Order: sequence, then C-alpha cells, then structure tokens
Amino acid sequence: MIVAVRRGLHERMASTLELPFFRLVSLFIARTFDSGGKPGTEQLDFGIGLILALLALPGAVVSILLFDKYSSLLQFFRGARDFDSYAAALPDEYFFIVLSMVVTGAVAVWWWDTIFLDRRDYLNLVPLPLSTRRIFMANLTAILFLAVLFALDVNAASSVLFPVVAAGAQQSLTYLVRFAAVHALVVVLASMFSFLSVFAVVGSLLLALPYAVFRQISLPARIVLILGLLGLLSTSFAVSAVAGHLGEHPHSAVRFLPPVWFLGLCQILRQRADPSLTLMGHRALITLGCVFVVALATWALSYGRVFSRISAAPEIDTGRRGGLMGGVFSALDGIVLLTPLQRAGYRFVIKTLLRNQRPGLVLGGFMGLGIVIASQTAFSATNEVAGVIQTLPSVDMLSIPLILSYWILLGLRVAFEIPVELRANWIFKLSLDRNSTDVVPLARKMMVTVCLLGSLGLVFPAYLRVWGIAIGLGHTLFVCLAGAFLTEILLLRLRKIPFTCPYPPFRDSAIVSVLICILGFIAYTVVSSNLAHWLLAGLARMLLLPALSGLAWYGIHKIRQEIAVEQEPLSFEDQPEAFELLKLSDGN
Amino acid sequence: MLEAKGLTKRYASVPAVQNVDFCLLAGQVLGCLGPNGSGKSTTVKMLTGLLDPTAGKVFLHGRDIRDDLVGYRKRLGYVPEEPNLYSHLSGYEYLELVGTLRGIPKSHLIGKIEALLDLFKLFSHRHASLASYSKGMRQRILLISALMDNPDVLILDEPLSGLDATSALVIKNLIKELGQQKKAIFYCSHVLEVVEKVCSHLLILRQGNVIAYGRSEDIQREIGQSSLEHTFMHLTAEADVEDTARQIAAVVSSK
Repeated sequence: MIVAVRRGLHERMASTLELPFFRLVSLFIARTFDSGGKPGTEQLDFGIGLILALLALPGAVVSILLFDKYSSLLQFFRGARDFDSYAAALPDEYFFIVLSMVVTGAVAVWWWDTIFLDRRDYLNLVPLPLSTRRIFMANLTAILFLAVLFALDVNAASSVLFPVVAAGAQQSLTYLVRFAAVHALVVVLASMFSFLSVFAVVGSLLLALPYAVFRQISLPARIVLILGLLGLLSTSFAVSAVAGHLGEHPHSAVRFLPPVWFLGLCQILRQRADPSLTLMGHRALITLGCVFVVALATWALSYGRVFSRISAAPEIDTGRRGGLMGGVFSALDGIVLLTPLQRAGYRFVIKTLLRNQRPGLVLGGFMGLGIVIASQTAFSATNEVAGVIQTLPSVDMLSIPLILSYWILLGLRVAFEIPVELRANWIFKLSLDRNSTDVVPLARKMMVTVCLLGSLGLVFPAYLRVWGIAIGLGHTLFVCLAGAFLTEILLLRLRKIPFTCPYPPFRDSAIVSVLICILGFIAYTVVSSNLAHWLLAGLARMLLLPALSGLAWYGIHKIRQEIAVEQEPLSFEDQPEAFELLKLSDGN
Repeated sequence: MLEAKGLTKRYASVPAVQNVDFCLLAGQVLGCLGPNGSGKSTTVKMLTGLLDPTAGKVFLHGRDIRDDLVGYRKRLGYVPEEPNLYSHLSGYEYLELVGTLRGIPKSHLIGKIEALLDLFKLFSHRHASLASYSKGMRQRILLISALMDNPDVLILDEPLSGLDATSALVIKNLIKELGQQKKAIFYCSHVLEVVEKVCSHLLILRQGNVIAYGRSEDIQREIGQSSLEHTFMHLTAEADVEDTARQIAAVVSSK
C-alpha cells in the first residue's frame, strides 16, 4: 500500500516536472550552474553539489574556529563560571549575519549575467509556442527558488555548527534548539535580503537605462557591489562592539548598516533587545519587505521592454581594449617576461582568470575562505588587545597576511588545473616545444606578482600605519619571502600550461588533498607567523632572514632535483580520441 | 617540399590511415578529398605534428619534421576543421596570443594584425569577445592566425566553412595568389566545386587508403569522367545519392 502510494506520488511528481512551465524553471535553474554549453568544457562541470558545498564552507570554518571561545572546559580553566552564551554570542552573531550577507550577495553578483534572460534564451524560446508571460513567470520562479536555495545553503553549516559550539554546553535542549532556530532564521533572512538587494539593483538599472548602456556599466556596477560587500565584512571588527550598546550612540552611522538591523531582529527574537535594537529589528523586516517588492516590481516592469529588445541589440558589441592592462603588459615584456611563452602565457592567464567563470570561481572561493579566516583572526586579535596598540604585533596579527597569501596562492595553483576550452588548446600544442622548461617560470611569475601586489599594496601600508616603518618593512619582506617559498612548493610538480589540460583525477584523492591543504595551512601560518614574531621582536634578528631564505631555497632546489620534473615533456593530455575500440567480443 | 611517406595511423589495431604517400611542391595546391571517416582529419593532424603516426614520416625539404618540430611549425600555417578558439579573448587578443607564441616581434605583430583584421573585415569587432563572433568571423580569425607569420606551408581544413559568399570568393582567390607566391598548400574539403577551382593536384582517400593522387585533369581523364563530382562518386563508390534522397523524403512524409 505504502509502496503504491509512493510510486503514485513519484509518478505524479515526475509528470508535473515534465510540464512546459517546470521544464522552463529547471532550465533557468540549471544554466546557473552549468558551463554555458561552451565547447570543451563538458567534463569540467563542478556540479551543483560541489558549488553548494563550497558556499557552505565559510560558515562551517568560522563555526569551528569559535570552538576555542565557547568550550566549557576552557571556560572553566579561564575561571568564567557564569558564562552567558547569549551575551558572548552577540559579536559572533553579527559576524555570521555579515558573512551570510556577503557570501549570498557575492553569489548574486557573480551570477549577475545568468540570472536574467539573454540572447540565447530569446533565440531558443521565442520561436517555441510559449507565451512571454509564461517565460517571465518561469524565470521569476527560478530566481526566487535560487534566492531561497542560496540563503539556506550559505547558512546551512553555521546554523547547525554555531549553535552546537556556542550553546551545546548548556544543559537544556530547549535552550539549544531555540538558540539554533533564532540564529538560522535571522541569517537566512539576512541572506535573502542581500540576494534580493542585488536583484533590485539589477532590476532598477535595467528599468532606468537603455539595454546597451546597462551592458556597458554592468561590470563597474558589479565591482562597486563587491567592494561594498567587502566593506561590510570589514565592519565586523568595529561595529559589533558598538551594536551591543546602540542606545549609548544615538547618532551613530552604525544604525544605517543592514547587518545591524538583522542583529536587532535576532535580539528581539531572543528577548534581549533594548529599545534601539528593537527599532533596528523592525527596520530589518520593513526593508526586507521593501527590497522584495522593489526587486519584483522593477523586474516585472523592465522584463517586457528588455526581453523584446534583445533581438534588436547588436549581436556583437564593439568591446573595449584594456589600455591600462596593455600598458602594464608592455612594461613587463623584456624585463620580467623573457620568452614568447612567458609573454603570451602571462596575458592568457590573467585574462582567463578575470573573464572565465570556472577558474575565477575556484580562485574566488579560496580567496573568500582566506578573507573569512583572516577576518575572524583579526576580529579575535583586536578583541584580545581591546584597542591597545602594542609596539610589536601579536602572532595572530602577524598571521593575517600569511593566511591570505596561503589561500590566494593555493587558489591560484588549483585554478591553474581547471581546464578552459580544451578544444582550443591546439594552438599551444602547435606553437610550443614540448621540451620547453618555461612553464614553471611563467606560473612562478604569475604567483609572485599576486604576492608582491598584495604585500606592497595592503600589508605594507597597514602595518606601517599601525606599527611604524620598521615593523611595516620587516613584515612585508617576510610575507614576500614566505609567499615565494610557498610558490616554489606549490609548483614542484607543474608541467602544464595553466588551464590547458583536462581536470586531474581529483575525486579519488579528494579527501587526502583537502587534508594536505588544511595541514599545510596550519603548518605554514603557525610556523611562519611565530617565526615572523620572533624575528621582529629584535630587529637585528632580521639579519638571519637571508640565511633562512637561502636554506629554504636550497631545500626546494634539492627536492626539485630529486623529482626531476623539469626533464619531463610538457603535458598536453588531450580529450580521448574520437576513435574508440569497444572490444565487445572480450566478454565471450 | 612537403612529403609524406608511408603515413599510417592505427588506433589499437584498427587502421585509420594506411600508407599515405604524396609530395607537395612549392606553388602547388593539393586538394584532399574523401567521404566521412576516410582519414582526412587524421592525415591533417599527422601533417601538422599534432598526432604521431604509427608508421611513416613527413618530410619538409627532405628532413623529417620530427627532427625539428618547432622549426617546422614556425614555417607552417594551419586552419583546423572546427573554429575552436578561446571565447573569453577578443579577436585581437587571440591573434596577439598566437603571434606572441610564434615569436613575432611586437612592433611587427601589431601592424600585421591590424592590417589583416581590416582586410578580413573584422577591424571594427577586434575588441569584441570571440564568444560573440559568428562561425564565419571565427573562421576568418583562424585564417589570419594561419597567415600572419608568412608560412611556407599552409594546411587548410575546410577553410571556407561558415564564410559568406564574398569572403569565400576572397579566400579562393587568396589561395591561388599564395600558390603563385610559391607556398605549398594542402587543402582539405568536402566542397568539390571549390576543390575543382582552386586545386592543381588531388589526393582522394577512402577508408584510410589513397585511391587517387595526381594532377586533377589527369585523374579525371584516367577515370573518364567529365567533372570532379562524377570522378569522386565513381572513385568512392558512394551510395546512389538520388535514391537515398528519395528514401529520406519518403520517411519524412510518412505518418
């Protein structure tokens, strides 16, 4: 009986999903995750599962990092007998709200181009016997489904782990469940707010601007949004302290930050809100409703106008040449990029990273993880010293650029393995000597450039401003050398031009690879930040740095000699030959 | 100039190409014909060095191309069958990538790219993404990339695919012009009318074997056919095309 009912339901579900409307909805959802049907990318699909897992990762990592703060055993040793987890969780709650908004907002910005209907949809769907209204409704349903899916996914891990970490030691299960339910509800609503806000911005731009102008300003608008989201993340360190005492700061600009509104909502639900936070909580609900209405209205109003004009818009935009980038490349030619492969490859790698979704997504994921861990480290480091500037930064403070450099360099190395349009690789294969030893210098120069830019652009100014010239210079030099060392380790077995080989057999060794990355991270950041702390404690010790660098270089040189990778020919594993012998008679 | 001797390719033990011999001299345009699966693409890949032959060799000026593959490719221009390009690059950027990989000096490269883009009517779209190019435009980018380094040997696999009538006419005349400039051109195509017009010599393959090779007129005279189309049908023993067309129409209209 149960089996029959189940089968009936299953069949009914299957037949419903086969209806034209739901086929359209699933088409719009699926293309958000697929490779866009580009040739040569068929085998590179990460799949929905992996993308969703990557998005949930930051929440999981931050929750685990908080174990130290909430551990009842550690609290006992610290002498904190009356530990109030609600009060202690306030800054972390703020951080999670910001995190959920940033990750979901970044996802919406990333998929900006695929959220809406485009020329491909127009050419494929309009000739079919489908009404424009049906296409619109299906697209809208897909967008709302994705908003809910991303909001749930981004917060899934933290909704389970954070309550367990923060309130798991409490004896009452009700307490834990209530803590978890409030946390989950607030972060999911914050995510929805963020996703719909991006959606509302896109809809408003589409409504206000001609389609051709919208396409032109699309990239700058996305950059502005990303900067805004990163700015929001940087508020975690300062705002959470103010947000707890908002009544004492009646004119604080903090009141205009959306995460503070959702923190207010959280405190209302926990019945711990003062009047200021209550006001903020109400504001969260009102603005969420407003954003929902604006997003829906602007999209509905702009839909007909934009979709009908897609066919009239020029199929090929004239594009624009990157004048600044061209100047940078020309400056590097001859000084840094010494061979044809280095000159061509350097440009190719940068353009691929900036324009191709897959390697960009991988690098973005690693960078995001780095930013989250570095933010969390900075957050705890600033809380520990409570605004007191010491003459020497703490080990945690010194580890921040090392954390970032580790994840960015590792992200680059992993991104190099992501194939991009394999069928177009014939041009490299046709132009290059397979015995060329230029690949490692090319990848090295790429990674060192990133490391140098980060060190000189961010590390030096930040440490110079807070701790003075000696620490600023010393730590920048240390971060550069540590980055160069890490680069050499990561490139030990490279014999491929980045992005030109099929995806390595990752699945078989995925767990081992992830474990190595995590252990490598711990070893790299802990060892190097402690070493940096020791060296900077007495600046005369910095004189040891050249000797240490020489030792590290010698070690890597010996390892490279042992594995003798440079003697191997360039790897160009192609796709399988079109001709395949099936050997069907072997089974007899 | 370019010579293939006993060129053979087997996948497992199944032969795709067997004992292909021909000699392509400077100024000649050798048309390579054959039905689907006859081994044309495999032959082209072996000629470009993209595929290692199981047996046999390719020689340029009497020297095995495998002895100095990079040097050989420096003198080779190749247009593959499919316009597979990096679609995240613009047309200009793709040509810059190819030119840089080929080691063309920057000062020379930019002028050449811009001049060729202009002549191939792509200049106004040079900074647009290749993803937005039509098949014909992508094909023209491939032709430019094959020609930009002034190669001695040109291997063209269906170079007119996707081109409009005017562009196709330009390319047909260009091939003749390049032949007169003493370049050796290997021209692979299914379009018999074009091969008949541009090629001085023919190489006809069937099931991986050479079934005819020589001057076009000589082959036609030997077979006793008046046109290349009839010669081709006679040699490759394809099915009765009219009968096949009738059968397809019957299936289409059946209920």
